[in-house]
Amino acid sequence: MKRPADIIYCILLFLLQLVISDYVHLGPWISLCLLPLLILLIPLSRSPHVVMLIAFGLGLGLDILSDGVPGLNAFAAVLAAAPRKFLYRLLVNADRQDKTEVPLLRDNGLLKYLKYLGVLTAIYLAAYTLVDCISVRPLGYIAAKFLISWVASTALCLLLALPIQNRS
Amino acid sequence: MKNRYGLLSSLTAIALFIVLETVAILMVVNGSVVQRYKVLGAVRSIESWFWARTSKLTYYLNYKTENERLAAENLQLRQQLAGYAAAQAQLDSVVRIIEPEYTYIGATVIRNSVDRQHNYLILDRGEKEGVAPGMGVVTARGVVGIVSAVSRHYAYVISLLNTEQSVSAKLAGSGAFGPMTWPGKDPGRAVLAEIPVHIEAAPGDTVLSSGFSTIYPPDIPLGRVIESKISQGSSQELSVALFEDFRSLHNVYIVRNNRGAEIQELYEKAR
Repeated sequence: MKRPADIIYCILLFLLQLVISDYVHLGPWISLCLLPLLILLIPLSRSPHVVMLIAFGLGLGLDILSDGVPGLNAFAAVLAAAPRKFLYRLLVNADRQDKTEVPLLRDNGLLKYLKYLGVLTAIYLAAYTLVDCISVRPLGYIAAKFLISWVASTALCLLLALPIQNRS
Repeated sequence: MKNRYGLLSSLTAIALFIVLETVAILMVVNGSVVQRYKVLGAVRSIESWFWARTSKLTYYLNYKTENERLAAENLQLRQQLAGYAAAQAQLDSVVRIIEPEYTYIGATVIRNSVDRQHNYLILDRGEKEGVAPGMGVVTARGVVGIVSAVSRHYAYVISLLNTEQSVSAKLAGSGAFGPMTWPGKDPGRAVLAEIPVHIEAAPGDTVLSSGFSTIYPPDIPLGRVIESKISQGSSQELSVALFEDFRSLHNVYIVRNNRGAEIQELYEKAR
């Protein structure tokens, strides 16, 4: 994500997340989140410190600008960002020979890419849903909300990841 | 040397992770809407300006429904006024002018959320119009929320559709009262708890605001009982269908309790 076009793409993703949070009313059973995709798009060469700080900034920015609970998205984003490189090696590239800056669907195949994106989204949404609903909602609701949100968010992130696949 | 650097880097990464997560959790736990509102005053002003415009557009798209609703409310108020006019004759002998306990400030909703666990509204009235934190917000069809923070031109309201919010409510017939809360699922449903088991609550019974707080006036219709169930063997929990449709809120009234300060002062003395 060093080219201006990629940076603009990331800004647009963040703005889209703001629009979703503020204007798309899908009911209490579903939360659509794009931050896992933004975390995935941070170059692998960046140190975990930088990745966590960026994730924290993105989450807090979203919390503030969409009038959510302050710290909620920031907490979930840092939790998803911390094991990012470990998950990449575990799920996408076990031999650690990959030189790519950003894992792309085109280079890794649908299954590996989906696993990586799915796990990042699951960590993010598990943290988000638990912190948002714990002690005020029954576990059944939390589990159902997590599952519905996970399927919908992963599908949306996958769809939105397509335009970036043709980068050289 | 490389190993040492690697170890140090891992340790600092873990420390940073712990610090960031702790900060985030502390913000979630202590997150004050008021602080956020004041710190981000400039950002909020720009956002409020934008929301005021988008809200106008939404209003024009839904003006027919809104007009019908206002006409119905107008009719009800005219009928009340006729009643008061008749009563006025009897009050002519009273020399002292009685200050009303509650006065109202009309406001328009420019921002509204209904899909979260902690929903909120932003109104186009602020300090300039005399709005202050702690004031209630109502419509003719129910309670909407409590003003949490104000800027010069806008007010931030914590909606009744917030899992941490409750309103003191009573059954119209028996007068039995308890806290009414939003359970967090359907924006059209609330739960009235702590109603004694010997009180008969039938589906269709009206639920009103009790007026036991200094925030909301009494007898505002809130909703209708749908069903009741025994909770923990000692009280009833009533499921209530709210009269107010939070998705289409537009015109609301901010409630100023003219005796609120006096009551608060009395509380302080009694402590």
